[in-house]
Amino acid sequence: MSVTQLLFTARWFHRGVKQLNIQFQTGAAKRLAVAMLCLLMFAATTVQAAVPGVIPPVGTHEGEDVPQPIEFPHDIHAKINDINCLYCHTYARRSKVAGIPPTSKCMGCHSIIATDKPRIKKLTEYWEKKESPKWKKVHDMPDFVHFTHEKHLKKFVFDNEEMQVENVSEVCAFCHGDVKEGTVAKKSKPLTMGFCRECHEANGGPFDCWKCHK
Amino acid sequence: MSLNNIKRRKFLKIMGWSGAGATLAGCDMPTTMTVQEGKEEVVSYLSPEEYVIPGVGVWYASTCQQCAAGCGVHGRVREGRVLKLEGNPSAAVNAGKLCQMGQSALQTHYNPDRITAPQIRSNGALSSASWDEAYDLLKKKIGADSGLKGNRAAWVTGNVSGHQSVLIDAHMEALGSSKHYTHEVINDSVWQAVSKDMLGVANPRVRIDKAQAILSLGADFLGTWGSPVQNAVEYGSFRDSPRGALIQAEPTMSLTGSNADLWLPVKPGTEGVLALGIANVLMSNHGVKNIPSQFKSLVKQYTLEETSRITGLTGEHILFTAKTLKERSPSLVLAGASAQGHENGYEIVAAAMMLNIVLGNLGKTVEGGTQLPFSQMMASEGNTRDLLALADDLGASKYDVLFFYGTNPVYSAPEALKIKDGLKNVGFKVAFSMFNDETTAEADLVLPLASSLEDWGTHVAAKQGARSEVSIQQPLMEKIYPETMGFGDIMLSLLKMQKVDAYAGFNDYYSYLRNAVNNMPGFMAKNGGEAWKEAMQAGSLEVKGRSLNVSSKAISIKMSVPADDAQYPLTLIPSARLGLWDGRHANLPWLQEAPDQMTKVVWDSWVEIHPRTAAKMGVKEGDLINVASEQGTIKAKAYIYKGVNQDSIAIPIGQGHKGYGRYADGVGVNPLQILNPAVDKKTGELAMFATRVKISKAGSAKDKLVRMGGSETQVGRKLAATISADVFERTEGDA
Repeated sequence: MSVTQLLFTARWFHRGVKQLNIQFQTGAAKRLAVAMLCLLMFAATTVQAAVPGVIPPVGTHEGEDVPQPIEFPHDIHAKINDINCLYCHTYARRSKVAGIPPTSKCMGCHSIIATDKPRIKKLTEYWEKKESPKWKKVHDMPDFVHFTHEKHLKKFVFDNEEMQVENVSEVCAFCHGDVKEGTVAKKSKPLTMGFCRECHEANGGPFDCWKCHK
Repeated sequence: MSLNNIKRRKFLKIMGWSGAGATLAGCDMPTTMTVQEGKEEVVSYLSPEEYVIPGVGVWYASTCQQCAAGCGVHGRVREGRVLKLEGNPSAAVNAGKLCQMGQSALQTHYNPDRITAPQIRSNGALSSASWDEAYDLLKKKIGADSGLKGNRAAWVTGNVSGHQSVLIDAHMEALGSSKHYTHEVINDSVWQAVSKDMLGVANPRVRIDKAQAILSLGADFLGTWGSPVQNAVEYGSFRDSPRGALIQAEPTMSLTGSNADLWLPVKPGTEGVLALGIANVLMSNHGVKNIPSQFKSLVKQYTLEETSRITGLTGEHILFTAKTLKERSPSLVLAGASAQGHENGYEIVAAAMMLNIVLGNLGKTVEGGTQLPFSQMMASEGNTRDLLALADDLGASKYDVLFFYGTNPVYSAPEALKIKDGLKNVGFKVAFSMFNDETTAEADLVLPLASSLEDWGTHVAAKQGARSEVSIQQPLMEKIYPETMGFGDIMLSLLKMQKVDAYAGFNDYYSYLRNAVNNMPGFMAKNGGEAWKEAMQAGSLEVKGRSLNVSSKAISIKMSVPADDAQYPLTLIPSARLGLWDGRHANLPWLQEAPDQMTKVVWDSWVEIHPRTAAKMGVKEGDLINVASEQGTIKAKAYIYKGVNQDSIAIPIGQGHKGYGRYADGVGVNPLQILNPAVDKKTGELAMFATRVKISKAGSAKDKLVRMGGSETQVGRKLAATISADVFERTEGDA
């Protein structure tokens, strides 16, 4: 459970308490109640499956290190600063491709944040030349496979009532692994037909050949 | 085991095993058969528009430039690339439909043979140069201080309309030039001349949808006549209940002919006699009295027997045609390429038009259309009389400077016109082109054009639809090759070079067009916005024009029939197809590999030859045949075909290029080369269907005539079961 989740839970509880109009006698009692509820929530989220109602696909892959034009640190963004995957890969819920964020989005933050770091200086150079870095593709499907991010996010996240969007990285991790533990992306799931098929079978995904091979 | 000695059975065995292996591996065993990591690049947008989503297409409206019909298109653009074209449903010309040539605009655009930089002739050969060098050369040759006399310069183009036409006119005015040759091989200029003389309107709007019966004298309106997509949409309504009847008379079966209820293999050049003979039957059998007095004696002359003898058709068919036209009113009579392309072409088309008058079709299926309020933007429609005039003027060394745009006369002119030699008399030839072709090969300066999907423009279709519109062409993506340039942009530079101050304020063609459209009278924004923006969204702007009326005017004609020629017994039909068109699309693999609509041949030329003619000569399908006219000989493979008149042979046009890129070169032959330079006496148009030829065997070909579909018949398999009307009535009817 991440820091934002905790904060979010606390805030929610606090609001709930206000709305229920429960009167606490002392500030200390109120604080205690908040702390206890947080603890309860924490316990609940660690016990339940990461993505409710979904059996994650199984399999690992020993991916190659893929050097990128800028060594993008997923860990700093997604782990330390806990930025939601969909904040940058905003197209994933709207399109078949998740999309590399536009350079303008990077510069939205990095014209102010960490401007002295070498990687950001490199990024700024690209931006000033009006060029985007040429990233190397790490995850890709052959042309005969039609994969869509949009449909998978719809099923696992947006149509999944138990699921909170804040936890979307758990869904991304099904196929992309634990991206926030590393810097540049590395392929850690096999993404083979068997890998897809087993997950479709386990979670009641479509099973017609032409659903993917069209 | 080498690839050469692998046998079919062995091949299947191997494929079977490895195929099974792949299946097993794919379905039941974990594999690592995925795309390699880190091999491909992915580049993000720098700063995208808000509505741009990678992987999701955005559709933009524009106007098709694959032929002159001016259909509206929607182009799907994804990640900055145009991927698919479809018809624009709100376009009046094509009502959301698009033909195979329109679809193939993508291959024109992405073609690997595009010219990517200006080319300047030095030491006899064209070599790449910069735009600065190109403009310096232009300045030297045609600039204000070049000493060029205006009447020594001329433009040679294909169909052109809209503001491109306005700029060409302005450029000619700035130079002091007055000559603009507009050349198109596929045209209906004789039909237009007759319409103007007999109806008072050059481009009457024919209503195929309103007709109950159509007699088409060689007008392939579903393929190459008028505005094919518009015609096809109207044809849909025509065939709706109550089903209209179509009778097609032509020397070789066209796409339209193959759709006809009755197809008549009329002897070439006798279509006019057929029209007069039908009028004769209408007069004598159906009590029709309103034959125009100028035609009366002619009509009387061509009795049923006489007409049958001359046209080679049975009296029964002529009677049936007349009866159908009379009983199913309103009818419509059209005349197309194979009827107009004779020395008496004007007379033939006039006889056909007379039938429209006699049958009372004026105002019903032949409407006046609309006169648009801006004459400068109207299409200057191509023809072949300009080609003949150009040939004469080149021979007389009339020009020092020629500009070529959207036409390839060195390819499409008969060799007898000696265009290529004539061009040697012109000191400086500038070609605006996307591709090197036979004409750019003669040019001294080739200016690389942006593709139609990268350029701006306005177009006014000569054959307007139900509403009158000015169509907008806008870029669907960034230029692929940065050194190419839009036609309008180049024209503005040329005008500025002539020190025409009026254009100084426009940095590019876009700003010129936007200003022009916003300030044009009659262009009003519908929703209170800017006219230009609304036009870009819709792909067109509706224009209120003046409705024209058709009224029959008296002209008198004589009728003649081509004489027989014992030395050259056959007539050569250079038939056109909605596909390679006049040859401009021969460099598009999609259209080369699309089987011919009639013969199913791909990537080749062929000679359509009647089974009886073939039997007499002992020719089989695929045999090489020499086709010789007075002008020369070409050699192509025979295709034995019942859909060709016995006194004719047909060779489709469009192939036989030399220097038109990797896909076009070395494929087939060009029948236009060996045409006689005979003309229609009245209009001066090239009589394209009047060349007489003789044929002889030239042995067997090295390779087969490749065609999809092995058989002409159903071999009794009842794939499409049919029953004749007689049998149906006798056995299934209500009695």
